[in-house]
Amino acid sequence: MNTTVSELTAEEPQPAAKLIKPLTGAEALMQALVEEGVETIFGYPGGAIMPVYDALYDYQDRLNHILVRHEQGAAHAAEGYARITGRAGVCLVTSGPGATNLVTGIADAQIDSTPMVCLIGQVGMKLLGTDAFQETDVIGVTMPITKWNYQITSADEIPEIVAKAFYLAQSGRPGPVVIDITKNAQQELMKKPFSYKKCEKVPSYRPRLVPKQEQLEKAAELINKAKKPYMLVGHGVLISKAEQELIAFVEKTGIPVATTLLGQSAISVDHPLYTGWLGMHGNYGPNVMTDQCDLLIGVGMRFDDRVTGNPELFARQAKVVHLEIDPAEIDKIIKADAPVIGDAKEILTRLLPLVNENDHTAWRNEFRQYDDIEDEKVTLPAIAPTTEKIKMAEAIDLLSKKTRGEAVMVADVGQHQMMTSAYYEFKKPHSLVTSGGLGTMGFALPAAFGAKVGDPSREVIAIIGDGCFQMTIQELGTIAQNKLPVKIIILNNNFLGMVRQWQQLFHNRRYSFVELQNPDFITIAKGFGIAGHTCAQREDLSASLDTLLASDKPYLLEIIVEKEENIFPMIPAGTSVASIRLE
Amino acid sequence: MILSQRTDSPCFYPLSEPSEFHGLKSVGTKMNTYTICIFTENTIGLLNRITIIFTRRRINIESLTVSETERMGVSRFTIVIKHESRETVEKLVRQIRKIIEVMAVFGYLNDEIVSNEIALFKIATPLGSKPLDIEYINKNFNAWVVYWQLDYVVIEKTGSEKEIFEFFSYIKPHGILEFVRSGRVAVGKTEKGLVEYLPEYEWEYYL
Repeated sequence: MNTTVSELTAEEPQPAAKLIKPLTGAEALMQALVEEGVETIFGYPGGAIMPVYDALYDYQDRLNHILVRHEQGAAHAAEGYARITGRAGVCLVTSGPGATNLVTGIADAQIDSTPMVCLIGQVGMKLLGTDAFQETDVIGVTMPITKWNYQITSADEIPEIVAKAFYLAQSGRPGPVVIDITKNAQQELMKKPFSYKKCEKVPSYRPRLVPKQEQLEKAAELINKAKKPYMLVGHGVLISKAEQELIAFVEKTGIPVATTLLGQSAISVDHPLYTGWLGMHGNYGPNVMTDQCDLLIGVGMRFDDRVTGNPELFARQAKVVHLEIDPAEIDKIIKADAPVIGDAKEILTRLLPLVNENDHTAWRNEFRQYDDIEDEKVTLPAIAPTTEKIKMAEAIDLLSKKTRGEAVMVADVGQHQMMTSAYYEFKKPHSLVTSGGLGTMGFALPAAFGAKVGDPSREVIAIIGDGCFQMTIQELGTIAQNKLPVKIIILNNNFLGMVRQWQQLFHNRRYSFVELQNPDFITIAKGFGIAGHTCAQREDLSASLDTLLASDKPYLLEIIVEKEENIFPMIPAGTSVASIRLE
Repeated sequence: MILSQRTDSPCFYPLSEPSEFHGLKSVGTKMNTYTICIFTENTIGLLNRITIIFTRRRINIESLTVSETERMGVSRFTIVIKHESRETVEKLVRQIRKIIEVMAVFGYLNDEIVSNEIALFKIATPLGSKPLDIEYINKNFNAWVVYWQLDYVVIEKTGSEKEIFEFFSYIKPHGILEFVRSGRVAVGKTEKGLVEYLPEYEWEYYL
């Protein structure tokens, strides 16, 4: 016990004395979050985090805590929140299973560069390493899937480490940070007075934001020389909020643009230079053009294998300019002729005066022929089908029209995700939230309410498959309890559709464990207090979507869709654009 | 020398010197030894964080030495690996650099460093055994007896891996009770000190 405390308790508590009363670690944590500007916490209490929850009881007016139904839900909700706000999502969970349940979400945030701060309880310091109740080596478990992690064992460390955690999570290439806080650190009193200073610098960590001039010049030279330049826009453009800079850049240079899955909505689909999205299920033209351009400019993207297919066959004829904040991404998959390291916004701003005004109309028009083929073979039959059952594509297409392409779409993982990316016409930035790198089924429902909490002014619509929905279905409880008006659409084909598609195409229709016997989703939603209805007929689709969109409460719309619909175009895994299939 | 990207690093891309292993990937089999020097803050768990990067890429660590440097709170890892692809080693170096507490990473080929290892040999010397020629050992192998008892001696040998194993072959007939070899320690063949790569740090010297 330190002397200041005993002195204070001996006296009658004076108002002045109250001010200098030392905080417990738990109180310091709450105060630190308030000072950092945190508004919302997604969490779930348990033994090793109880002192923090006790302190939170007094902070309910300043910190909005959302009680999830499973810690994985907290992680994905924090991701959804972070994707919409650009600020770190915060999770608060207990040790052991609380922490391990968070792991999927942490891995998801790491691979999709999503800022997140996870505050995790831990057994007392004296019990560390003894296999105590609910003890897991959280630092060890999360080491490969976090940007940084740290174990706090004394209350005095809390302000500084929390500040560092938020700085690291949100700066440079963002990512998840885990803070493991032992119970004694939560309970004990701080020995020094609480003071919080936002972290602005970590000695060993200096993400380069401003690019080097010589790298810019080299990139500009290649861009100015190119006859058939082509730009691939990734998530990094959205993370650095460089949408305006991107438009200024492409309008000056006349370079056609495609986005990656996570780059979707960085540029409006209405923009004349936007050609579509690329990747395994991306548009025909944008994929084929990687084989025909003479210069590929990747900005804020990492040449994921779902974009490149076989990297040895990807864009072999093209020179590559790679604009990227993370030096470890340079040459990782595709060798860059002119890498530029820096923040996308800074790079595009500084590159703009170095590039020539240009107009690549003829080259841009080359995309059109592929668009026509794709429209005829894929798009039109998908959005105006003559089949008996509703197709996923037509539902998304109609939804896009009804929301004027302005809603936030939170897509889960599978065929419905690719349909959302392909058929929703994104008009506003930060409008697609989905699990790209990790492909986490069950992501969308919690991420959707996280996104809604992040920006209540926007319409948030979760597009979920019947398989995915059952992975985090319990989060309906969170949505109901917190009255979060999230619109949920289940595209139900009674199949794990994407796996079924692969089995159909590559495994001779041997449908191995992909058919689902589903519960009555509407009854389940009603049980949670969420209204909903099922739409099985094409003539009801429009009215059903209207009902969904008109609701000012959470609403579940189940759309029964064609059982064996496939998503095309498709580049089979590990092949190249030469193997692209349209049917 | 392979450098991780740094604001102040003189070269990051392309590599400054032509690689003698250019086009090696097609040859396929030749393994080269790389010495990777990592300068870090002295924090708990960092060793694990670094080795995870090797594990993920399935690269075996041949030897590992960690010590604090001439600067307070700065640790130096010297990790020796064998790999056939310089490109992969460059990627490895950049990924290690990404770890938050890592300050700088350098990758070297054998001819770019001055390096040494130390080995201890515990040799049985029971009565009536073949006598050890200490003077010969001194002169020809530059090895020293650092401890002796009636029944055994401990000989210290420093040098390259090759030199240590040459001595090993020589001493083997005498009966080796124990043999232990340290990891490699190495400094780059450059006139630069660490401070020139990391000028932004406020160094605190021990002396």
